[in-house]
Amino acid sequence: MTVIETNSDHGSSVNPRDVFAGELVASLQEIKKTYYMGALSVEVLHGITLEFYAGDYISIMGPSGCGKSTLMNILGCLDQPTQGKYFLGDEDTSKMEDDDLSTIRGARLGFIFQSYNLIQQLDVLENIEMPLFYQGYTEAESHEIAMGLAARVGLEDRVDHKPFELSGGQQQRVAIARALAVDPLIILADEPTGNLDSKSGAEILTLFDELHDQGKTLILVTHSDELAEHSKREIKLKDGRVESDERIHT
Amino acid sequence: MSEFTLNPISQPSASFSRSNSRSKFTTTRLKKITQVGIKSIFSHGLRSLLTVLGIVIGVAAVIAMLAVSEGASFEAQQQFRDLGATNILLKSVKPAEVEENSNSGFGPPQAIVYGLTQADITTIRDTIPGVSNVIASRIVKKNVWNLGISMNTDVVGTAVDYPSSRNYNLRAGRFFSETELRDHANVVVLSDEVANVLFPIDNPIAKSIKIDSDYYNVLGIMEAEGFSNLGQNQAGSSNSAPSRIFIPFSASKSRFGETTTRQTAGGMESETVELHEAIIQVDNQEMVIEVGEIIDQILQRRHKDEDYSIEVPLALLRQAEASALRDQIVAGAIAGISLLVGGIGIMNIMLASVTERTREIGIRRALGAKRKDIIAQFLIEAVILSGVGGLIGVVLGISIPFIISTFWGMTTIVTPIAPILAFSISAMIGVIFGIYPSMRAADMDPVEALRHE
Repeated sequence: MTVIETNSDHGSSVNPRDVFAGELVASLQEIKKTYYMGALSVEVLHGITLEFYAGDYISIMGPSGCGKSTLMNILGCLDQPTQGKYFLGDEDTSKMEDDDLSTIRGARLGFIFQSYNLIQQLDVLENIEMPLFYQGYTEAESHEIAMGLAARVGLEDRVDHKPFELSGGQQQRVAIARALAVDPLIILADEPTGNLDSKSGAEILTLFDELHDQGKTLILVTHSDELAEHSKREIKLKDGRVESDERIHT
Repeated sequence: MSEFTLNPISQPSASFSRSNSRSKFTTTRLKKITQVGIKSIFSHGLRSLLTVLGIVIGVAAVIAMLAVSEGASFEAQQQFRDLGATNILLKSVKPAEVEENSNSGFGPPQAIVYGLTQADITTIRDTIPGVSNVIASRIVKKNVWNLGISMNTDVVGTAVDYPSSRNYNLRAGRFFSETELRDHANVVVLSDEVANVLFPIDNPIAKSIKIDSDYYNVLGIMEAEGFSNLGQNQAGSSNSAPSRIFIPFSASKSRFGETTTRQTAGGMESETVELHEAIIQVDNQEMVIEVGEIIDQILQRRHKDEDYSIEVPLALLRQAEASALRDQIVAGAIAGISLLVGGIGIMNIMLASVTERTREIGIRRALGAKRKDIIAQFLIEAVILSGVGGLIGVVLGISIPFIISTFWGMTTIVTPIAPILAFSISAMIGVIFGIYPSMRAADMDPVEALRHE
């Protein structure tokens, strides 16, 4: 079993999340997204308005083709909405230049993908350090943070291993450590257990529960009810609209 | 560390500007990108090596060809310096038609008369301005004896100025004097080679050697020369041997006579040659080529047959320089083409690498890499590739001339500018041919890139 430290943040004595838990971290206002394929245009999102609060654990559900991935890409600042506004923190990202989007992705968001998306030539530590590198942390700083996070996900004795030397569950834990590196506003997870067996999947979900307990804001995109059960707020999408948005646990 | 836990909502601008200012290009970043680049190049060792082969060959070719041509031009200059930049060399040549006539007849061979004469020399000396001295020589092939040891060598009958006109120095003793020249004295100066053969143990100075039936007193020994092969074959077989001995012109004339006879494959052959060669010294280096042309015109008027050759070392030097330049241009073009092909090879492999690593690019972009970070990564990789290729090329390019010098005895000179130039060009090629693939990598849509399998 994974040993997970319940220690709050990377070396700081005060948990910063306690200060603003419950505050608004992101808001979507009338988000529309249209894809153009030659003369053809397809509107995938038909005006989505949502608000996310600090410390919340949200799941976004829906059948395939409902616009889940598109919404995920917009939330992750990987894609821009055609219409509407997306505030991350208090900054409107919908009109940002490419460089500013890169910066905000690197500084404010943590990504966890279904297929882990670790860089194969780099070892565990270097993978965790990568977001810090693009934020301009010094080597000493990023080494310290990455070592702390590797320990936190229970991989402190594997830091010099390459991703292909690890099991799927271990790789996903590296990805989680990487997502936590810059202490982001929101952690976005896209089907994080999709490639894992049930035991490893359960471990990852336990890890998510602990992150939630520590005040992290988590958005989970999935089509699995079992996964969504872990979240506190369940948003269901259908045909590019919000079908339901309810708090399932308190 | 306190900055790191800044409250991102209450002080968003503070935290945002921090990351902006910190994401500038620092040496740490460059170091990290370079490390990653080296890692990715070495993870495809063979592929990278084949990729840079074009650059390796190009750079090695530039350096090696420049070294060879530099060495050749140095050698040529050395030879011409020996011949003397202010000298014009005249030689008697057996005309082609006369040779035919003598071979066709039966009976006792008639002496062929050809070549330069005293009258030619007097005319040149007295009528052409700028000619400061003319040193005429007769060259006769003889067997030379010291007791039981003999060798066949050229006996050069010449004037006292001969060594200074050819920049020859004496190793020991002295050259003969004006008095000895006037007195038809039986004195001789040996070349280094002849001295070594005839006197393997003892010092030849003040000893005597025998030519035909006469004894000659050895006055001095010439220094071993970096002997010039240039133009020697034009002047007939008598000049081809580097071993020579020198006696006064007057002595040569009175002891050996005007007509020389030698044994040839077809029978006996006699020829009467007044002078075999003459060195004309000109006051001023600027006038040498012009004076050479005037002498040629005068001799053409005075000689019915082409029985002489004229050689202006300075003009040959200019020709050699021109041909060296031509060599360098050809070498440059070959090297340029090779480097271009090498550059295209690098571009090709970088494009393949960009496609192969599309997903990595997507991941990096998602984790905060800007376009310029991606450009920097791939550009640095291209520069490392071409730089490593350039480095291997420099090593090869320096060793090839060394091998050529060692095994073929050719002079090669690696000037420091050649490796520096070749290496800089190869690095530049990395930048030029790396730009397009890097731009393609940077322009990828992060969403598409992440979806790529």
